[in-house]
Amino acid sequence: MEIKLTQQENITTAHLIGRLDTPASQEISQNMDELQAAAAKTLILDCSELEYISSSGLRIFLTLRKTAASKGGKIIIKSISPVIRQVFMMTGFLNLFEIQG
Amino acid sequence: MTERHLLLQNDIRQIPQLADFVETIAQESNLDQSMAMTLNLALEEAVTNVIMYAYPKGSQGLVDLEAIVRKDSLVFILSDSGKPFDPTSAPEADISLDVEDRPIGGLGIYMVMNIMDKVEYRRENDRNILTMTKKI
Repeated sequence: MEIKLTQQENITTAHLIGRLDTPASQEISQNMDELQAAAAKTLILDCSELEYISSSGLRIFLTLRKTAASKGGKIIIKSISPVIRQVFMMTGFLNLFEIQG
Repeated sequence: MTERHLLLQNDIRQIPQLADFVETIAQESNLDQSMAMTLNLALEEAVTNVIMYAYPKGSQGLVDLEAIVRKDSLVFILSDSGKPFDPTSAPEADISLDVEDRPIGGLGIYMVMNIMDKVEYRRENDRNILTMTKKI
């Protein structure tokens, strides 16, 4: 699992690459400062190369979404695959996020 | 009918081995990508629960997963010798809550129950035995 961050003015794009399984999510959640700071502004989560997400990965998404809600930021989820969309649907996450493409 | 067996330590870094195990079964049974992914997800959630909570912190324990592959169904029997825990009686997550009220946890078991067609728990000989059936 790899996350590539790019910044353009106030918008941060996090390109998620690989499998966001439990061990990957645990590693990321220990080092979330940059993502959390971005979530307080505008954070695009580019999921075009995200192959898999477990509930621990969803927890990261939700944590960022809560930060955005409390700090006046914005999260946009971009390009989720049909299988990951299915997980979002099953868990009610489709209603919690702005999803593009 | 074929049987497959996976034995893991209670170490979260072993999860990729589970993914390989599910992938092998998915290929053998010609499952489509969506079915393979959700199956992997349900099993990862169930196994993660055992790895994280069944045994006292810092102690070693085993997580045993047996798969029975039939033409029309897959049966997964997950067992451990940790403390008694019945996931089928855990309170159901409320997925209709808004961002502010939505708790961070509780989704794992919800997904297991949602993805599998049948989930049964029993405690036998000091072991937790969770039997999960998926029609294919």
